[in-house]
Order: sequence, then structure tokens, then C-alpha cells
Amino acid sequence: MALFDVTQIALERAIAGASARQGALASNIANANTPGYVRSDVDFHSALARELSSDDAARGVDSLAFAPQKDRRGAARADGNNVDVDSEMSAMAQNSLEYGTLVSLARVRMQMIQNVLGTR
Amino acid sequence: MGLFGAFGISGSGMTAERLRMDVVAENLANANTTRGADGQPYRRKEVVLQQAGSSFGDTLAGVQAAAIVQDPSPLRRVYDPGHPDADAQGYVNLPNVNSVSEMVDLITASRGYEANVQAMNTAKQMVTRTLDLLR
Repeated sequence: MALFDVTQIALERAIAGASARQGALASNIANANTPGYVRSDVDFHSALARELSSDDAARGVDSLAFAPQKDRRGAARADGNNVDVDSEMSAMAQNSLEYGTLVSLARVRMQMIQNVLGTR
Repeated sequence: MGLFGAFGISGSGMTAERLRMDVVAENLANANTTRGADGQPYRRKEVVLQQAGSSFGDTLAGVQAAAIVQDPSPLRRVYDPGHPDADAQGYVNLPNVNSVSEMVDLITASRGYEANVQAMNTAKQMVTRTLDLLR
């Protein structure tokens, strides 16, 4: 088994996904008053889950990239904008907490490796 | 795009909302201006926002002001024969600025600005967490 196992790589990709999602949510909030703007979001959970359950999870997870997707659900206002600032803010709070959890997990796992190597 | 892209996006949102506040301030300041730059009564201005081009590499690039346009709605006509800009019938054309709707725009812009500040703070916290990984 490699030094960094599938879980560690998945954690790293999830951190990248949460980071990309932060960008998408920030864009939604910045465009909250732009007529015709359609909100975008990054669904990194389902992409990760799909790759983790595949046969070659290590390779699949490692090559994951997250691109923002347009989200046309939700009621659009009269100007065609479907951003709801409240739901964006709550999604952002959730994403930020999730990001913190992922970083803490990745850090603990790295400390475990450092403990085994005797470098701490 | 890394987390730093989120800073640029939130920054563009703050710039756009502040421009809206500036334009509202100008509208309110000129609510009774009968002689604008062109000699005509002042007309209410409005900011047109548009999604910024994909300069960050992804489909997300924040927001930008496309233009500041004049509101073509009719001017207020008030009977005031003593006014130096009154016409032959004694009516004065006053700017089409409605201070109530300007105040509503001001609050919208202010709340939008706050939301962008909050988004930027969240991104900052996330970057700080990442830097903890290096300790």
C-alpha cells in the first residue's frame, strides 16, 4: 500500500471540491442582483461517492476534477435570477464547516504517519 | 480555481454593490436638480450588472457593471410659476427620482455588500484552516 491511501487522496480531493464549491457560492452571492444569472454549484459529494465505489477507486479518485454546474432549480425572480442569498449563505456555512472537518481529518491522518515515522 | 478565486469573486461583488450605492447617492443628491450636465433636468441613473467573463479560467468570474444607464421614465411636472426653470404654463420638470425607491435600492445594495463580505470572511477562514495543515 502506498504512503497515501485511497482515503487520504479522497480527503484531499474532497478538500479541493469544497474549495471549488466555495468559489461557486461566492459567485452566486456576487451575482445576487445580476438579471438573468443562473446559480451554479459544485456537487463533489456524488462524484466522490461514485469513484469510491468503483473497481479502481485509487485511480478514479485521484483523477477527479470538479467543475461548477448550472443549477436551474428554485424559483427565478422576475429578472430571471434564481439566487436566494439566504440559502447561499447557509450552504456556505455548511460548506465551510465541512471543509474544516476534512482538513482536520487530513491533518490527523498525516500526524499518524509522522508518529509512525518518528518525526514528531 | 483555488480558494483564492473566491476572494476575487467576492471582491467583484463588493465593488459592484458599492457602485450601486454611489449611484443611489447621486440620484438622491440630485433629486431636485433642474439643470443637469446637458442643461436638462437630472434623470435618475441605474447600474446594469452582468456576470463577468471567465477570466478566472472556470465559468465563474464574479460580477461586473455593464453600464450606468439613465431611467427614461417621465419627469415629474410640478406647478411652480416662480421657479426660474418653469415653462410658459408655469410647470417645472423635476427629476424622475423617487426617494423611497432609491432608499430601497440602497438597502438592497447594502445587504448585498454585507453578504459578499461574509462570503469573503468564510473563504478567509477556510484558507486559514488549510494553513494549519502545515503546522
